[in-house]
Amino acid sequence: MPAPSHNSGDDIVQSLVADKSHDSAVDEPMLYFAAVTDGPEIANIGKKRKGLGVGAWLSIIWLALLLTSSFAAPFLPIPDPINDVELPRSGGGKAVVIATPPSLDHLFGLDGSGHDVLSRVIWGARNSLLIGIVSVGLGLLVGGVLGNIAGYFKGKIGGFIGSVLDILLAFPQLILALFVVTVLGHTVANVTFALAIVSTPVLARIARASALSWSEREFVLAARAQGATHRRVIWREVLPNVLPAMFSIALLGIAVVIVAEAGLAIIGAGVKPEVVTWGNIIVGGQGELRGAAHIVLAPSLIIFLTVLSLNFLGDVVRARSDVRDSAL
Amino acid sequence: MRKSKKSADAAARFETEPAEGPLLQVVDLHTHFHTGRGVARAVDGVTLSLERGQTLGVVGESGSGKTVLARSIMGLLPKSNVERTGSILFEGREIIDASNDELRALWGSQMSMVFQDPMTSLNPVMKIGNQITEMILQHLDVSKKYAGELALAQLKAVGIPEAERRLKEYPHQMSGGMRQRIMIAIAIACGPKLLFADEPTTALDVTVQAQILDLLEEQQRERFMAMILVTHDLGVVAGRADEIVVMYAGRIVEKAPTGLLFSDMRHPYTEALLRSIPKLSAPSHSLLQAIGGRPPDIVNPPTGCKFSPRCPYVHEKCTQEEPPLVDATSPDHQFRCWTPVGTPENRAALEANRAAGLESALAVVEDVLPAGVSTATETLPQVTTSHLRGGTINPKGSV
Amino acid sequence: MRMIFTKLVRLVVVLFVVTFLSFWFIKLIGGNNDLVAKMIPFASIEEKERVREEIGLNKPFFVQYRNWIGNFVTGDLGQIYTGSGANVASVPVSETIVKRLPVSLELMLYAQLLALAIAIPLGVFTAYRAGSKFDRGSNMAAFGLLALPQFVVALLLATYVGAKWQLLPTQANVDPFPLSPADNWQYMLMPIISLALAQIAIYTRLLRSDMIATLQEDFITTAKAKGIPAKRVLFRHALRPSSLTLLTVAGLNVGALIGGAVVIERIFQVPGIGGLLAASILSQQYLLTQSLVVLIAIFYILLNFFVDILYSVLDPRIRHARAVA
Repeated sequence: MPAPSHNSGDDIVQSLVADKSHDSAVDEPMLYFAAVTDGPEIANIGKKRKGLGVGAWLSIIWLALLLTSSFAAPFLPIPDPINDVELPRSGGGKAVVIATPPSLDHLFGLDGSGHDVLSRVIWGARNSLLIGIVSVGLGLLVGGVLGNIAGYFKGKIGGFIGSVLDILLAFPQLILALFVVTVLGHTVANVTFALAIVSTPVLARIARASALSWSEREFVLAARAQGATHRRVIWREVLPNVLPAMFSIALLGIAVVIVAEAGLAIIGAGVKPEVVTWGNIIVGGQGELRGAAHIVLAPSLIIFLTVLSLNFLGDVVRARSDVRDSAL
Repeated sequence: MRKSKKSADAAARFETEPAEGPLLQVVDLHTHFHTGRGVARAVDGVTLSLERGQTLGVVGESGSGKTVLARSIMGLLPKSNVERTGSILFEGREIIDASNDELRALWGSQMSMVFQDPMTSLNPVMKIGNQITEMILQHLDVSKKYAGELALAQLKAVGIPEAERRLKEYPHQMSGGMRQRIMIAIAIACGPKLLFADEPTTALDVTVQAQILDLLEEQQRERFMAMILVTHDLGVVAGRADEIVVMYAGRIVEKAPTGLLFSDMRHPYTEALLRSIPKLSAPSHSLLQAIGGRPPDIVNPPTGCKFSPRCPYVHEKCTQEEPPLVDATSPDHQFRCWTPVGTPENRAALEANRAAGLESALAVVEDVLPAGVSTATETLPQVTTSHLRGGTINPKGSV
Repeated sequence: MRMIFTKLVRLVVVLFVVTFLSFWFIKLIGGNNDLVAKMIPFASIEEKERVREEIGLNKPFFVQYRNWIGNFVTGDLGQIYTGSGANVASVPVSETIVKRLPVSLELMLYAQLLALAIAIPLGVFTAYRAGSKFDRGSNMAAFGLLALPQFVVALLLATYVGAKWQLLPTQANVDPFPLSPADNWQYMLMPIISLALAQIAIYTRLLRSDMIATLQEDFITTAKAKGIPAKRVLFRHALRPSSLTLLTVAGLNVGALIGGAVVIERIFQVPGIGGLLAASILSQQYLLTQSLVVLIAIFYILLNFFVDILYSVLDPRIRHARAVA
């Protein structure tokens, strides 16, 4: 009788190769990516794939509104978010500082120093979005280059870069950012830099996995066979295919970074308190949760909507470019 | 024992005294899938019946609806987007409207199925023994120990060497032929009255195919099971089925007792299927005659006879009006064709099509064409089965 | 075996690099002498010199590293120095960690169990009824939960359940372990929920998509055709082969949470490892930081190894492939 294990040996190899779960390249950021952008394609439920859909348009409108209002903040007719305001005075001329709940005059209410919370949220968006977009942009640039190189040159270079990324990912990421900010100082630039450092290995890992699968396709081999240089193949053949995945993950990345900024602020390692960011608004209201929850709830709601929109758009981009089989 | 109250209630519906008559009667069965492109009529008005202990061969290309037919009868298709109409009488009781809970009492115990690909049909993370005993415990009121013994007996019955050891192994530790034997052991473990074998040998090595078919036949005889053997290969059913149904585009195009089908085939598609089997009697290096054209699109089928776009005997009427199922010489033998094989109309149509340069007509090789109702017909069934049985010496031997 | 061996070698290398990097990095940032100055800025010069001597900061870098690794292996993780002037006291790092670790472990373990207890049935059921109204609703909810930052959940809970309705205690900064199980739970429930909520969403979505793929497998049809009840088909036949991705993420999350639950620990004032780590960095107790970072890295890496072994328990094909290799 021929040994049955001989026959099934190939199957095992096949199944292991085919099964993504056993790939050592599977790690947390990629699985988060999978979790957000996988499966039912929220963006497409019950719909044909034509057109963008209501959800995507709502997301785009929200983000556009957010961006324009934060750009235009200095020109908007909103109260000053930072400097002392003229406070209502009572009896003895002493300033009575009370956080007031939302009203028609102040849609998000006033905080404990009498600042308009809506105005602070808009001004905060400037810094929070800046931190999110710039740090992910930097991470995308560095991580994308590293990941593409690592994925395309599978041998020693790829292995080395892969190991470095592994090591960077073994540190708790918020802690890493905290460390960098503590050492460099609590400025917007440093927080951006810290979060860029944290997001680089994540983006690099996804670029690497994507480049890895694309660089094995026939058209890449064909380009190589025709004598194209490595640089040309990466630039012309691999990169254009990796980009949709990168763009999709970048959208999710911005969302994660916006949340991380607030997280850093809460543990006392964010931008210094006098700078208005969403995180700092929340920290400022934390002590008054019981009496004036709106100070915390307003920026929380805005963060929620922004993250939701970014995730949603990331999902749409992923669904449209069908990144999944290349990314995982 | 293991039976929940729910399944016991469901079983009650089917534990009434079986009615007289055939084991299975299917009347005008339609199975329609609602797809994004439109309605796919995978089974389109099939009527057939099967006596106890008999074998029915269902033959057709992929896409002919034969697999869907088997799954429709058993009720294994998903419920969403699938519509079944018609009547399925199992031992005289209507089961087309039965719920899954009700059918569960029949599945495995009264009717069961052997699937095409043994590499994927067994649970990869469950031991062989458990895969058999879980079903025995589900249907029979026996102890765990006894179920284990039964499972062992089943493995021995299907010719698995070292059965005790195999019970504790996983599917991936076995070869394809061995796994198909295990699938058969599972399917017959609870003594079903009806066994569906859905292309049971397609995924296997040629040398193993005949062994598996012989095993099925042997078990069927011993247990007096009826069997529906679904295949794309007329040669597989030639020596084994009592009756053969040829399907095309969800419809029965010819139905006859096996001997009669081969001696007096009427439908051009049946003929084409037969021609596509390699024959030992043919000179070596003779070309295999594949059926030209593509299997029909069941969402947008051609008008008239569904086979007309590929038929060498096509003429005007064929493309306009679908032929009805009519009796041949006896009511047992029915076919669906305007220009049946062996008739003068058929001949005339072929000549006309050749003159017109129709590709399918030019491809017909004269010498294997059963001109009239004679020539090759006697040798065909024998030849076609011998190519499968040739290697069979010891059906229980190593796989 | 060879596969496991190469993995082990890789792990040791990674561990070595992680320890070296964190040691070197902290030295680089602190500066050899500055490190002490930052730890106990108000101590007298003599005391600072004594501490420097004690830590061995005067020795060459590689000797320091070797000593540090040697001590680390024997369980001596160094000291935390506090005080001013001539009164400098020290507490062993290990003592602090031993006090904090159970809190973090409890938080992480319960959060995982809670998330899995909800996500597994939900993932299985939504996959089984994929496309149904319930499935769509649950997916929308999961998508929403994914966009809800943990700190928002935590702050909401703290505001309403804690402060306004006073159902559960908040802002206690108590060590939950000497407490009775009931009291312990009262303190830990809100942090656990805050951590679990987002994970429920992630786990449900991952399990659902893997389950949907598994449910299309032939062996599921076989099980159905055997007359096995749907529940058993789902949980006995389909769940196990669908759970590998879920297992990977859950494993990684356990690793991430041990030090990464900082924000939640901070909001609810839970004395866990994450908070300790953050505090050590903010107060520039870099020796403590060093030890914690390395401990977390070891934990993370061992956990990965453990998840790997669990794979082969769940899927016999992997087990046998390894036995062959």
